[in-house]
Amino acid sequence: MTFPGAPVRPAPRRYWRTRQGLVLVAPLGFFLAVYLYPLTRLLGWSFFSPGFTLEHYAKLFREPAYLQAFRNTAEISIWVTGLSLVLGYPLAYLMTVVSRRVRTLLIVLVLVPFWTSVLVRTFAWMVILGKRGIINQVLVGWGVIDRPLALIYNMLGVQIGMVHVLLPFMVFPLLSVMARIDTTLVAAARSLGASPRQAFIRIFLPLSLPGVSAGCVLVFLLAVGFYITPALLGGEGQVTFTTLIELVVRDLLDWNFGASLGVFLLTVVGTLFVLFSTLLGLDRLTGDSRA
Amino acid sequence: MSDQTLSTRRHFVRIVSAAGATAAIGPFFHARPAKADKGELVVVSWGGSWAKSLREVMFTPFEKETGYKVRDDGPPEAAKLKAMIQSGSVTWDILDTDLPAIQTMVKEGLLDPIDYSKLDKAKLDHIPKTLQSSHAVGHKIYSFNIVYNTKTFPVGKHPRSWAEVWDGEKFKGGRSFNFRGGIAPQLEIALLADGVPMDKLYPIDVERAWRSTDRLRPLVTKWYQSHAEAIQLVTAGEVDIACTIGPRGIYAKRSGAPIDVDYNQGKLGSDYWCLVKGAKNPEVALQFINFALDGKRQAGMVKENPYGASNSTAFDFLTPQEAKDLTTAPDNIKRQFWISEDWWGKVGPDGKNENQKQKERFAAWMLKK
Repeated sequence: MTFPGAPVRPAPRRYWRTRQGLVLVAPLGFFLAVYLYPLTRLLGWSFFSPGFTLEHYAKLFREPAYLQAFRNTAEISIWVTGLSLVLGYPLAYLMTVVSRRVRTLLIVLVLVPFWTSVLVRTFAWMVILGKRGIINQVLVGWGVIDRPLALIYNMLGVQIGMVHVLLPFMVFPLLSVMARIDTTLVAAARSLGASPRQAFIRIFLPLSLPGVSAGCVLVFLLAVGFYITPALLGGEGQVTFTTLIELVVRDLLDWNFGASLGVFLLTVVGTLFVLFSTLLGLDRLTGDSRA
Repeated sequence: MSDQTLSTRRHFVRIVSAAGATAAIGPFFHARPAKADKGELVVVSWGGSWAKSLREVMFTPFEKETGYKVRDDGPPEAAKLKAMIQSGSVTWDILDTDLPAIQTMVKEGLLDPIDYSKLDKAKLDHIPKTLQSSHAVGHKIYSFNIVYNTKTFPVGKHPRSWAEVWDGEKFKGGRSFNFRGGIAPQLEIALLADGVPMDKLYPIDVERAWRSTDRLRPLVTKWYQSHAEAIQLVTAGEVDIACTIGPRGIYAKRSGAPIDVDYNQGKLGSDYWCLVKGAKNPEVALQFINFALDGKRQAGMVKENPYGASNSTAFDFLTPQEAKDLTTAPDNIKRQFWISEDWWGKVGPDGKNENQKQKERFAAWMLKK
């Protein structure tokens, strides 16, 4: 699909045949060394100990705990993706309608959390949301509630902490797509008698969908691999797959089984990624507007 | 329009790549590992105030006395050591770590045995025999204890036994127990709560211990991941009682936190010195361990960090005031029990030791709805 107003680009050329292709050699070497090589080792560990075996994968499916942890991870990720969209969409929309200066300010505000480590931010949430945290102290002090609310060590705490960290990954894909939408289309709809609501729902919303899908995929995939926030802000029901991987690799030193857990997670996430990008046209994320 | 669009997009790509790069590089951003060359010894401990005291009390005097240089590194992760040995680039000589980690490392063949003939007999005579095992010699005694918030439970009105910690009616408030961090699950403590006397804990009645742990479960607000987290949870009043390292509680209390420790029915264990397999300087490493087992030097360590010294002569160098709070003080140690290394290290027919088996069961138990 090509949207009106989107920059017209030449068809992709075969870069590897040009001199520019040489530039790619270094990143390719880097990629092979630090990514592909360890990944191969990981695959090896998961299938060999020392002879070929499927035992490590069999164990994963035999033991309900690991699948339950995977369900927990999926549940958290879906919640966080949904909440990020609900919060991020209006925010990104606001950024497209305000002046350039205000927009820059908003971008900076969304980015500020990036400058602090996830660990520090997670501890900050503990101070704010805890039993004797700011919110509970104020509410109890004003007599609004008798007992402190359980805001952390449960799903709510994990949702708040993770949405805070992942929101920028929703907002920026949305913004990049929304900023490209030709606003004269909305104006045209209005002049032809559409109400503001109709114009939004029938013109703006469909045109912004590539941003929605890109943002959702990005947030979901990052959420699946999240470790610190669920471990610190979650309770019993939020023991995630990554927590188990850590337990197996660091405490039990069972690297073969740990590798099979890692490969399993990678396969699921990889499959989802391919699925999403085929169905939803994820290439828009990189701005490649193929027809 | 198109200009702006492009800049927004580039902006976005830049932002995302920067964020991604930060996230990706993050875990590898350790300080450059200290390298063990000839004439140099690398001692690996868990950091914090303990590591600071090690430098002052042990490393610097050892350097002065022997001329060898001591470098510190940390943390002594078993997984990191395994990776070092597998890749053939071992940079560590001595580890300072706890029993479950050591048992797993011994099983994996990551440690060398200790040659006790190279250590002073006079020193070893004052160190409990149970702390002198084939691959590790104990130096720092700690215990899992009842650590409580003194705002919730003023001293004297606090839970004094594990049965009382299990009693959610009489002692209202949240509990925190360890999910990771040393021996977990706390099977012995669950048995004590269920009425088993302290001298009848081993061999552990595993099923009874798990049934008791089932009863604890609804009282637990947070299963913690590290002992530092547990102390923080109690200090902040997020939970009212934790089962965690008592000496850490004493340390927090000394710095003014509303926290106290009851040593009754505590589970005693030790951190040990052990030798990395293929360490470049095993002779010097043993010389250091011998140096560090000295009672006076151990006393210097526990003055700052209220753990117990494994060498009983350490008490000769402590004032009664300094000695009173230690987990090994006569009044405290007699109310506690020693963890059984044999029981937890016992390897079953499946090639797993009890520690690994119970940890796996713990994870499964935690995920059972």
